[in-house]
Amino acid sequence: MAEEGPDDIWGIAHVHASFNNTIITITDQTGAETLAKSSGGTVVKQNRDEASPYAAMQMAETVAEEVKAKGVEGVHVRVRGPGGNQQKNPGPGAQATIRALARAGLEIGRIEDVTPIPHDGTRGPKNSGF
Amino acid sequence: MRVAVTGTPGTGKTTATDLVETDLEPVHLNEVIREEGLATGRDEERDSLVADLDAVADWLGDCEDLLLDSHLAHQLNVDRVIVLRCHPEELERRLTERGEPAAKAEENAESEALDVILAEAVERHGEEAVYEIDATDRDPEAVAGEIERVIDGEREPSAGTVSFIEYL
Ligand SMILES: Nc1ncnc2c1ncn2[C@@H]1O[C@H](COP(=O)(O)OP(=O)(O)O)[C@@H](O)[C@H]1O
Ligand SMILES: [Mg+2]
Repeated sequence: MAEEGPDDIWGIAHVHASFNNTIITITDQTGAETLAKSSGGTVVKQNRDEASPYAAMQMAETVAEEVKAKGVEGVHVRVRGPGGNQQKNPGPGAQATIRALARAGLEIGRIEDVTPIPHDGTRGPKNSGF
Repeated sequence: MRVAVTGTPGTGKTTATDLVETDLEPVHLNEVIREEGLATGRDEERDSLVADLDAVADWLGDCEDLLLDSHLAHQLNVDRVIVLRCHPEELERRLTERGEPAAKAEENAESEALDVILAEAVERHGEEAVYEIDATDRDPEAVAGEIERVIDGEREPSAGTVSFIEYL
């Protein structure tokens, strides 16, 4: 895990990973200000295998360049959605996205899974998460 | 044959399964879990029992010919999985009108926007066993009719036919 120095500018990467789409939003540390957003990750059905990592990489590169230009050196990651921890799903997925952010030159700090849990007086056992 | 009718709470599973005409035995698993105490613990924050899925499986035993209504039904051994879908805004409205607290309506709407249950269903059973039905603008009778088509083998499997992620 990367260390955050006292003078470094860090942000939060919010990764929303659904079954066949991923949205990346990078905000400041308070979550109040959006520094970059990419929702272009729709994975076309016919082309799932190829499109997944490709889409994640494209999006990650775009937002990483944008926030690096604003002086951001690293991000803590908040993942919402099943896309990342279930291998058979076609979405670019959280893990691919995080790897792509790192490859695009951002340091990666804490990674937190905040996927919502469907519930109705009962709920399933906790997922193993990632 | 065992058919699961799953989907985020509020998609209309219980309403629709009560209307389905079939030889399968309908089972409302939420009620079973509560009445039989098939839980490993309690999630206080969500006012929910944490289901003991092994105990649920044991309770079902080797009964076949079941129509399982529950947002957990896809986590059991079944032959076909129907995933009801509903736009998160409409889902939140339905749950609020059903009298649910705001936090519960919101977290379920967010789950629906992120395809949480669809993803779990495909992960466990594969796309060839999953039948996604968008119930957003359909009345309960029409949804029941679609469920009957799946049971009768008249419908092709499908997954990822809707996208609600822009709701977030
Ligand atoms: N097809 C539908 N169209 C509009 N409202 C519906 C539909 N199906 C169910 N509802 C309403 O939405 C709420 C949730 O339905 P319910 O059957 O309890 O869902 P679930 O069992 O999936 O949690 C109920 O108040 C019900 O009356
Ligand atoms: Mg119900």
